[in-house]
Amino acid sequence: MTVSPYIAFARIAFLKILAYRLRYYTGILTYMVNVSVYYFIWKALYQGKESLGEFTFEEMITYVSVGFIIRTFYFNNIDREIANDILLGHIAAKMTRPVNYQWMNIAQAAGESFFRLFMFTIPTALAILVVFPLRAPASPYSALAFVAALFFSFLIFAALNFLVGTCAVYLHSILGLIRAKYFLVEILSGLLIPISFFPDTLAQISRWLPFQLISFTPLMIYMGKYQGEQLVISFLSGLGWTLVLVGLGHWFWRKAATKLTVQGG
Amino acid sequence: MAVIEVSRVSKRFKTYDRKEGVWGGIQNLVRRNPREVRAVDDVSFSVDPGEMVGYIGANGAGKSTTIKMLTGILVPSSGSIRANGYVPYLDRHQYTRGIGVVFGQRTQLWWDIAVVESFQLLKRIYDISDRTFEEQLEIFDAVLNLKPLLHTPVRKLSLGERMRCDLAAAFLHRPRIVFLDEPTIGLDVVAKENIRQFLKRINAELQVTVVLTTHDLSDIEELCRRVLIIDRGHLLFDGSLEDLRGRFECKSQIVFELREPAQVDFGRLGFNSSVEFQQLDALRCQAVFDKKQVASAELIKAIVNSLAVRDVTLDDTTIEEIVREIYSRGEVASS
Repeated sequence: MTVSPYIAFARIAFLKILAYRLRYYTGILTYMVNVSVYYFIWKALYQGKESLGEFTFEEMITYVSVGFIIRTFYFNNIDREIANDILLGHIAAKMTRPVNYQWMNIAQAAGESFFRLFMFTIPTALAILVVFPLRAPASPYSALAFVAALFFSFLIFAALNFLVGTCAVYLHSILGLIRAKYFLVEILSGLLIPISFFPDTLAQISRWLPFQLISFTPLMIYMGKYQGEQLVISFLSGLGWTLVLVGLGHWFWRKAATKLTVQGG
Repeated sequence: MAVIEVSRVSKRFKTYDRKEGVWGGIQNLVRRNPREVRAVDDVSFSVDPGEMVGYIGANGAGKSTTIKMLTGILVPSSGSIRANGYVPYLDRHQYTRGIGVVFGQRTQLWWDIAVVESFQLLKRIYDISDRTFEEQLEIFDAVLNLKPLLHTPVRKLSLGERMRCDLAAAFLHRPRIVFLDEPTIGLDVVAKENIRQFLKRINAELQVTVVLTTHDLSDIEELCRRVLIIDRGHLLFDGSLEDLRGRFECKSQIVFELREPAQVDFGRLGFNSSVEFQQLDALRCQAVFDKKQVASAELIKAIVNSLAVRDVTLDDTTIEEIVREIYSRGEVASS
């Protein structure tokens, strides 16, 4: 596989999104509102308490805010785009190119994420930083590991979305599935509540699932709660899950592609 | 050696009949009635390198399904396809390097960005060298006048402009086979002519094999020596245009106008057995005949010599009429 076309796909996605940059200004506002809501909810929950679980109030606000900030980076709509390709028949043209459809989608999402990093993540981070008292990363070492962990956030999120999108070959309309996945990921990734706050059974199950690697793991790394051996385990499971999910996507797409029916002529 | 070899290919789809109304909708939830549709049924043909072949058929005849199998998008239910040395759907990655595809109904370019960016991306995808890229653009620009369009986003192009860009994109990597699915759909006369000129030239100069489907039979008449006609999944005809005309009883007709109103006695003309005469109104008469039996020159001479005629018009059967006839009969007269 040559890499060059996939870089070109990322570049195209970047250009494409540049044409619609206005959309992101409203996005910053949305994330501000999200963080504010959670700020006040946690403020009420921490009333008269020093800490909940292993988190102080300040840590919790950092957890929630940074969680939303990194979401502006790793988020993508690969599932929706695949469903569109299939539903509207664009898939035909894309299949006649000598490119791997899965990698094309992931590359485009990467281009989009790169764009988001500058136009969305950094402005959102600055806006939140002005209003809420965030903690810095626990150490330069944690900061570095945190950035590395974000690569797995992106890859796992993208690989999951690719799997969900591919279901459209069989189901045609997957809006319901996309919504279900959306909420599942919000909860199980630990975006809304840290996984350590889950009931024991659910927390145990979550540790064996890939979702925590999207949000919870990088945040724990950021706050210095994962270090040493725990850090190594995180990266190994990030790598492992990325391989598994991408491999699964590859296999699933190959299988689904033989079942394609192209809509509209 | 054929560059495309299609043998006994069928494509079956399963669809579900939906019952109508509210109650029908509820029934659909529980029981669905599967029905098998044969979009393409036992079709065989082969195409030689450098040929330009027209593939025609009514809506839903199976043209697009065939093209989609040939381009590796759909997997045949049975039969085998070999093109350019590959089995399209199996060796998709290798195979698609050597083909170009245009689906006239939708663009292959990236909608939101300038045309030249799409071309650059294709250059990367197909690993086209800078020199080839420049050369190809020069060739295309000469016929299609591309340069003024290059820096416009695709969504702002007119249909004709977009099609010019799409065609250029399909030929950019010097493919050996190009599939064009209705490349002139929705275009005006000038745009159509542009595109035909381009196809003629590129086919002649670069020896590209072209398979094109169309509804517009004048495309075929101008471009293709050979036609395939498909109807309801079956291949009805495979041969040259002349052959198609020849096999069909080529009815021609002559309409002639008299100088002054009169009742014509057609018996005088002496073609009674082979020509069908009819008086249309007081001034105009019609003669329908088979060109293979009666030379039109002879007939016209007879008419002009024996009647006081003001005007004579000769109508040949068009390919369009032949095709319409074929569709309605569902088979080709064998001779």
